[in-house]
Amino acid sequence: MATNTDQKTIRFKVKRQDAPQTAPYWQDFDVPHPPGANVISCLLHIAANPVTADGRTVAPVAWDCNCLEEVCGACTMVINGRVRQSCSALISELAEEAAAVTLEPMTKFPVVRDLMVDRSRMFKNLIDIKAWVPIDGTHALGPGPTESPANQDTRYALSRCMTCGCCLEACPQFLLDNHFIGAAAISQARYFNAHETGKTLQDDRLEALETPGGVSDCGNAQNCVQVCPKDIPLTESIAAIGRQTTVHAIKSFFSGK
Amino acid sequence: MTEHTPSTAASSGDPATSFLQQHHFLFRRLHSLSGILPVGVFVIMHLFTNFQMLGGDFQHEVDFIHSTPALLVVEITLWLSIAFHAGLGLVYTFSGRPNVRRYRYGGNWRYYLQRITGFIALGFIFVHVATLRWRWDLFGWFTPFYVRGFDGQPLAHATTAMALQHARWVVAIYLIGAMSVVYHWSNGLWTSAITWGVTISAPAQRRWGYVCAALGIALTVFSLGAVVGALKYHVTDEDRRSIRMTVDFYESGGTDADTKPRPHTATHGHE
Ligand code: HEM
Ligand code: SF4
Ligand code: SF4
Ligand code: FES
Repeated sequence: MATNTDQKTIRFKVKRQDAPQTAPYWQDFDVPHPPGANVISCLLHIAANPVTADGRTVAPVAWDCNCLEEVCGACTMVINGRVRQSCSALISELAEEAAAVTLEPMTKFPVVRDLMVDRSRMFKNLIDIKAWVPIDGTHALGPGPTESPANQDTRYALSRCMTCGCCLEACPQFLLDNHFIGAAAISQARYFNAHETGKTLQDDRLEALETPGGVSDCGNAQNCVQVCPKDIPLTESIAAIGRQTTVHAIKSFFSGK
Repeated sequence: MTEHTPSTAASSGDPATSFLQQHHFLFRRLHSLSGILPVGVFVIMHLFTNFQMLGGDFQHEVDFIHSTPALLVVEITLWLSIAFHAGLGLVYTFSGRPNVRRYRYGGNWRYYLQRITGFIALGFIFVHVATLRWRWDLFGWFTPFYVRGFDGQPLAHATTAMALQHARWVVAIYLIGAMSVVYHWSNGLWTSAITWGVTISAPAQRRWGYVCAALGIALTVFSLGAVVGALKYHVTDEDRRSIRMTVDFYESGGTDADTKPRPHTATHGHE
């Protein structure tokens, strides 16, 4: 591909890994970037020209993306040491932070290849807390209860979660090899417990969150809320679930089976 | 019942682990409670008592503590609570992996310090009790703490002063140890309000943070006052003679029953 000479070039340092079990290694790429370029557009350039800074042709770097507008979460990676979405990471801003752009896959999920990770643990966690509203049945159930506008506001903020995993990557309690459920699923439990029909599964959700790896494994470092790209009030959700589990545990102590 | 099934970690078949796992939530909440109540309330009272060394009537306070009915029961309760809290605290500490170098947020530092100060507190409490309570001789730092001499002479302030005035490193240990405990308790009080779901909104968490910080500052002042009070005390020859005679008395097999009447009894069992 012809490189436009008046374009600036920036060094990319990419942490690569050929397969889930193989050792990671680093490669550098020099990438020209037009105004408005972001990390994904530069990765597209590398895919088209997989030539390292020292002139070797290598296998193209693999990564994941989908929406390209920071709503799907698929492109999440660690950029210059900070977890964020690569589609909304502008090169012009990154160039102000450092001379090179460092790309690493998230460390709390198994690497599939290069910058692609397997976030299926997050989806499994959503199943564990029954992150849905039960409306299936054999007959028409009629209209659901009315949702108050105030409740809608609270729930709207929580609904924005895109299961990107930033909150888990930054959490000192969520590790690749432990089973803490993490801030995202805790917040989703609050979200569905606040829904007038979703409430019917509240006890199931709280019981799941009282098992090992549940809400009490949070150590209150509050990194999650700092890194969430959707500004979800995760620490408020953790406290709200803390209250719900407290009440639930006391109730089941006195009137449970 | 729904169960959050560990997705990546292998479940352990170890019976001790599975007992902990089965009652996971309860243990976590008891850990929080044990830190705040028995241990925490004791620490507050203790620091306030010590503060009396600065101008107050320390001897009176100590006599009061030693006149508590069933002091042994209180002491055992405290030991059990600390052991429970510290034991689980260590397990919980090693269940996380601090990342303050990458994520330098205030909250992350507080999380990290909570764990560091837990360790320091454990070491400090041990050294503190071993020397002042059990009268161990650590590195020549013999601290014969007696509330009163065998003849009823008040000795609480003099013996504490002797312990602190032994060397600079003793003062350093006390300052670091006390500050760690104060931080650990105040920050723990702040996080416990989230754990239990008392403070939910971010502004509520911030407001409660100010309350906890104020408590922490007050306890810091008490601790510093106590250290200054111990350092300012002039240990007289009379004190030294009395302490020497009391040490000899107990070391040669004297018991509290042989001593003159005092406003308190027991708890001075010679180890
Ligand atoms: C002796 C060694 C100690 C260790 C190893 C230790 C360890 C810990 C740890 C790791 C936590 C965090 C738990 C979590 O967030 O999940 C914690 C919390 C706490 N600790 Fe300690 N601790 C010790 C002593 C103390 C002492 C002496 C006090 C009282 C002055 C205390 C009071 C608290 C409180 C109030 C909490 C907050 C509980 C919560 O967040 O719900 N701890 N401790
Ligand atoms: S809560 Fe925020 S950081 Fe966590 S997965 Fe959802 S959007 Fe991402
Ligand atoms: S508050 Fe801290 S420990 Fe808890 S989920 Fe968020 S980042 Fe993790
Ligand atoms: S591609 Fe969807 S968030 Fe970046």
